[in-house]
Amino acid sequence: MRRVRARFGHGFDRRVRRVTNLTTLASEWAPDLNFAVLVKLERERTEVSHLQTSRLENVQWIESDVLQVGDIVVPANNSSEVLVLHRDSDRHHALQLTNRCNSLCLMCSQPPTRQNDSWMVDEALDIVRHFRTSPRCIGLTGGEPFLLRKTLRSVIDFIATRHPDTHIEVLTNGRLLADTHVVQQVLQGLQANVSWLVPLYGHADFLHDYVVQTHGAFDETIAGLLNLQLHCQPIQLRIVLIEPVLRSLPDLCAFIGRNLPFVREVALMACEPTGFAIANRETCQVDLRQYAKIIAQSARILNRYAVPYVLMNTPLCVLPRSLWPAASQSISDWKNVYSDACTQCTVKARCSGLFAWHEAGWVPAELRPVLEIET
Amino acid sequence: MSYYTPVALPFNTRRLSDGSILGVSKSGDHAFFSDEELAWVHCSPTRLPLERQAELSSRFFLGRDRQAPGSQRLLLSRRAAKRQTIEDGPSLHAIVPTLQCAHSCRYCQVSRTLGGHGHTMSIRNLDMACDAIFQSPSRALTVEFQGGDPLIRFDLVQRAIERISARNASENRHIRFVVASTLHQLDDEMCRFFKEHTVFLSTSIDGPAVLHNKNRPIPTRDAYERTVEGIALARKILGHEAVSALMTTTRESLNHPEEIVDEYVRLGFRDIFLRPLSIYGFAKRNERHLRYTLEQFQEFYLRALSRVMYWSQQGVELREIYACIILNKIMSSFDGGYVDLQSPTGAGLSALVYNYDGYVYPSDEARMLAEVGDTSLRLGCIGEQLVTLTNSQVQQDLIRASLVDHTPGCDKCPYNLFCAPNPIDTQAQFGTFSVPVDKTEHCRRHLWLFDHFFSWIRAADDDLLDLFHGWASIPESAK
Repeated sequence: MRRVRARFGHGFDRRVRRVTNLTTLASEWAPDLNFAVLVKLERERTEVSHLQTSRLENVQWIESDVLQVGDIVVPANNSSEVLVLHRDSDRHHALQLTNRCNSLCLMCSQPPTRQNDSWMVDEALDIVRHFRTSPRCIGLTGGEPFLLRKTLRSVIDFIATRHPDTHIEVLTNGRLLADTHVVQQVLQGLQANVSWLVPLYGHADFLHDYVVQTHGAFDETIAGLLNLQLHCQPIQLRIVLIEPVLRSLPDLCAFIGRNLPFVREVALMACEPTGFAIANRETCQVDLRQYAKIIAQSARILNRYAVPYVLMNTPLCVLPRSLWPAASQSISDWKNVYSDACTQCTVKARCSGLFAWHEAGWVPAELRPVLEIET
Repeated sequence: MSYYTPVALPFNTRRLSDGSILGVSKSGDHAFFSDEELAWVHCSPTRLPLERQAELSSRFFLGRDRQAPGSQRLLLSRRAAKRQTIEDGPSLHAIVPTLQCAHSCRYCQVSRTLGGHGHTMSIRNLDMACDAIFQSPSRALTVEFQGGDPLIRFDLVQRAIERISARNASENRHIRFVVASTLHQLDDEMCRFFKEHTVFLSTSIDGPAVLHNKNRPIPTRDAYERTVEGIALARKILGHEAVSALMTTTRESLNHPEEIVDEYVRLGFRDIFLRPLSIYGFAKRNERHLRYTLEQFQEFYLRALSRVMYWSQQGVELREIYACIILNKIMSSFDGGYVDLQSPTGAGLSALVYNYDGYVYPSDEARMLAEVGDTSLRLGCIGEQLVTLTNSQVQQDLIRASLVDHTPGCDKCPYNLFCAPNPIDTQAQFGTFSVPVDKTEHCRRHLWLFDHFFSWIRAADDDLLDLFHGWASIPESAK
């Protein structure tokens, strides 16, 4: 998430706050929300202080050139920065519910931790309470959100009640969904508009289990997918394109076509070069252009089974043109960048671009700006 | 044993003419083996390369020596999907309002000439048949009018469609009406009625005019011309896709496979169904003149099919329905529900025929047998409850005679998830169900078809596989 410089006073505690300004504060103010009022001038700061003394204790001033009205912020661990937990104008919104996980994927971009982190759910709910407008879509991520069990369901219901038009996407490895008790806790009577994003890395148990570094994970994920289908839940399968996965990608796609044709979509995703992916660089760093034929063949197989697919995190210049229509702008706004080489590219506006940390990590393949669009 | 030590799962095999061994697993997935590799799979699968182990386990040839509940459930759901259509209840309801027909085709199984009496359904039975259709739990229903030529009694067709549509206003089923006819009687008024009720027409085209007119004689010798006129009229008012055609392969047809396919292209049809002649009913009397061998049909079929492929490669949209049915069985996870290849049989379970004579039959073939005196396949009278028909001795015998796991020959056949005995066909051929399955024409023909398509798939390039998969997606008109 974004971390930005800002000035604020002593009363600006660890609580989640919505950024606003003096003009709109009156219309948004509510007793159960916390506000950070953007100020520039001394006069404005004084005005906020007056409000505080006249019992508007949930209002604090903040000075920043980069914050926007509607941002949701908390102070960072120092007194000169805030974390932007949510921004209205972003294309992608996500709430991280836990850092704990029951798998240990080779390319995990967010390596799990073991300690109790239940504060993360509280913060997520707080963020939801502070939304100024209902986002079109919001992702619930982890760690593994199903470790929260029935609390995950409460989070979903909380969002659905307050923002009935918001589509919720839960990123899960699906393993705990093999457990009928968990299925009941989370799926029974579920009314919310949810889809489930579930990774699958192999067409045989030992291939998938190797990538997620856990015995028995494949079998649990398969059972989980069948339980989602049983509850008529829409599924996106997610395949991260690291070397051991790419090696058997066409077979994996054929497996999906034959066995899981009920999935709504398959996402083929370039690896995010951070976290464990850096530590396991020799398996995770690939030159995607060298695998273009394999990716195209895999897409062809998905076509045969009429399973829709989408490519994520893959710059257009790395892909054969036949796959461009399936490529999406998938990288979260705050970590999405383009390289200098992209300046002259004619398809930059519809390209996924790169992860911000590609310089410390790697790019999916050597960038070759597209200079003109052939018709 | 390590966590991932592979063990062979049960599967059936069969040697193909190219020397390879085909295996089909319990999920309906297939793999080709050499003799040596097959021995490894059974005796020491750990010796197989890891990539092959992965492939064979993803296709349910290899499993683990431990509980794998997820994979086990996946296998069960795959098998259930293959036999799905039967569980939905009867979805194909054929009504035979009359046996009258202006044609006197030599191979015809049932029809009577015009003016014959007693070959038309009573109004009471027609109404009861229309009501009985809704006893089926199936959400999607096809109601097909057969004959004779139903348009000779358009009044009955009209009455039935109106009655069913009126009832459906509250039932909200998805109903598809089909009228099978020569289209000689078709006029503007009928077309407008069909348009209003979204009725599809299914006609017969046996090939070019000379062949068609020879197969389907009428006094004016212009059966072909009048059917083509009917097609044009129907397309003009109902739209191009509203008319499909079926062909019957006669002995005369055997020498003209390419011309027959070209005729379908010329007439703008997108489907052709290369069916062998069923020697039922009246056709049986002319058997000596009509019969040809399976080998003759095979040669005809392959020549005609390669002509269809030729047109496909030219960019002409044309599918061969028999190939679609076989490919659907082999390549798709969703079964198209073709009645003759279901276990238990689709006859009576997914299809019912309400005949002009007031009886309900399990299939078209069964009512044809009745015309030559074998009424043993009647399920009951029109008006009886569906549950009574399903529980009838005849239906229970049909079910028992079509269970692949209990039929010697089928139980060890690799195609037993795709295919099944056809007891009614057996009855027509031998006068009884109790005949070893491998003696039946049905078994020999389908073994050959599956063998042939598997060999073809084994040698196919990507373009051909794309085409095959396209054909394998559920062919609606094949039901």
